[in-house]
Amino acid sequence: MGDMDLMFNPKSIAVIGASRNPKKIGYELVSNILAGGYEGKLYPVNTEGAEIMGMKSYTSVMDVPGEVDLAVIAVPAVYVPDIMEECGKKGIKTALVISSGFKEMGNEELESKLLSIARRHGIRMLGPNIFGLYYSPSRMNATFGLSSVFPGGIAFITQSGALGIAMMGWTNLYRIGVSAVVSMGNKADIEESDMLDYFKDDPHTKAILMYIEGAKDGRRLIDSIKRTTITKPVVALKSGRTEKGASAAASHTGSLAGSDRIYDAAFRQGGALRASDFAQAFDWVKLMTAQPPPPSENCLILTNGGGVGVMTTDACEESGVNVWPLPDGLQAEFKKFIPIFGNFKNPVDLTGQAYEESYYRSVELSLKDPRIGSVIVLYCQTAITDPVSIAKSVIDACEAGHCGKTILSSFIGGSQCDDAMKKLDEHGIPSYPIPERAVSSLAAYYRWQRFKQRHGR
Amino acid sequence: MAQEIVEGGRQRGWLLEPEAKELCKAYGLPVGDWRVARYEAEALGYSADLGFPLAMKIVSSDIIHKSDVGGVLLGIDCPEKVMDAFASLKAVADRTGSRFEGVIMERMAKPGIETIIGAKRDPQFGPVVMFGVGGIFVEIFEDVSFRVAPIDGGDAMEMISELKALPLLRGARGRKPVDLESLADALIRVSRLMIENGGVSEVDLNPTLGYEDGCKVVDARIILERA
Repeated sequence: MGDMDLMFNPKSIAVIGASRNPKKIGYELVSNILAGGYEGKLYPVNTEGAEIMGMKSYTSVMDVPGEVDLAVIAVPAVYVPDIMEECGKKGIKTALVISSGFKEMGNEELESKLLSIARRHGIRMLGPNIFGLYYSPSRMNATFGLSSVFPGGIAFITQSGALGIAMMGWTNLYRIGVSAVVSMGNKADIEESDMLDYFKDDPHTKAILMYIEGAKDGRRLIDSIKRTTITKPVVALKSGRTEKGASAAASHTGSLAGSDRIYDAAFRQGGALRASDFAQAFDWVKLMTAQPPPPSENCLILTNGGGVGVMTTDACEESGVNVWPLPDGLQAEFKKFIPIFGNFKNPVDLTGQAYEESYYRSVELSLKDPRIGSVIVLYCQTAITDPVSIAKSVIDACEAGHCGKTILSSFIGGSQCDDAMKKLDEHGIPSYPIPERAVSSLAAYYRWQRFKQRHGR
Repeated sequence: MAQEIVEGGRQRGWLLEPEAKELCKAYGLPVGDWRVARYEAEALGYSADLGFPLAMKIVSSDIIHKSDVGGVLLGIDCPEKVMDAFASLKAVADRTGSRFEGVIMERMAKPGIETIIGAKRDPQFGPVVMFGVGGIFVEIFEDVSFRVAPIDGGDAMEMISELKALPLLRGARGRKPVDLESLADALIRVSRLMIENGGVSEVDLNPTLGYEDGCKVVDARIILERA
């Protein structure tokens, strides 16, 4: 297991099947590793031994002068076992097998041959049939995905290659940073469980997002989810909801226990938070990587519009977020600066006349009260207020009163609201264009917090 | 003993009700007292031991779904009816061309909340335990919960709490609440049964009646991996 660290933090990488032809994956891999700013040694290996992107290349990995921590293999499938053998002889302990043409195409024999060679040499292998591995702390983009990725705290483990590469694009578009992107491929050796065990102890990873289609060993998966989720949230996306159990149903239980329901139960049992779609999963991890978990069940909603406040309250109630009825004392504090026609219970309605100061003081007040665990700041665009400037006052209040509560926001309106939310995101206050999405994220955070508390920590 | 029961039924692919109940008993599941009568006179004798009213069901290696063929007779409350029931169950075997291996007799359970406790083996997760509230909740709403075995007390209570029909168990409409601890205990025992008997592929304890104090497995269907 200690070898996994070599895979994420290699001091040297050999790309076997490196190419100078820009249309080849072997070119893309070398070029992405360079573009990502990887600072270790990089050795292109190519049968022709030609120079690649200004670097000397080697005809065999065995000719590489120094030690190699990680082999990235992108040669046609039939050659991969021999290459793995050479890697073993070279003393390499970790490998990414990019090449496809194994089990996924019915070549099970070739895959088990490859696995047995890797096992014999004690090589931990990711793949085959993967787009690679990205890890931001070591600035390693050993993928043929996008060359630029937004760094952050989410580790993304994916069984789908296409989704993984698309996700790399999303990180830039939606300003959601990742610590790692892991393509699982055929999972001949390394499975999700191994990755979870690694990210559990990885200080750069704050939350894990896992897209999974099927597990080889379900019980092991539950156990590693459970171990991980005690330290950090695991958000799971599972496809194949409609698949029915193939076995003839001789009993009630047989007919009711479709495989998706079992996955659902397994995720619950392990404490993974199951998201229903990608957008939701991203919403959740965005909050979880930006904000600390709520220290108390009580949630406070601040709004400048009554309707949106009520809808947000409904969403909270339906998803198990406690909209805390404000005690008189605290209501009196709010009354000091909110117009008399406002609402002082919860949601606290600052009224449509709420300017920067009103938002600043409300956030300040909410963050100061030790009974409050989370704050949702809502803003509906008005003719008399400037969203960006309101956002700034929310940010200022948060920065002045940082106190370990969960704070998130939703700004509803036109493109100025979009600008405001961008600013909030940049300052670590996750914001959502629709309040229900904020609530869904907060509810997931609470579910995680409760699971942790139930299971001893 | 559990192993012998399972091995004994491997050829058939499932356990006869008396065998299934024996296996349940070996795992400390709350089954009632039963007898298997092969002759009418035996049935009469057992009815005196067990007391009325009785449930009488056919035992046959050829009949897995007993109620579909009229093989389940309930509310038998006097010796005359025992004789009638015995005769009619024997007739079921004749009519369907099935082997007649006796009649399982058991005192009717007192009414309670119908629940279903089940288990199956999933190709990816191994043994899985199921819980639901009987009748329309299972049939129409598929209001059931699952956990992957082995489960502990916390898991079992979560399974119960997840059901939409939970208020029914907690004592809706002036009823007394059901003993949830005893249902949780039964779930843990089924989980153990599945873990320790790889030959068992599916378990259906349907219904298991929940009472204010304890619960009772009324019918048990256990499917085996064929030898």
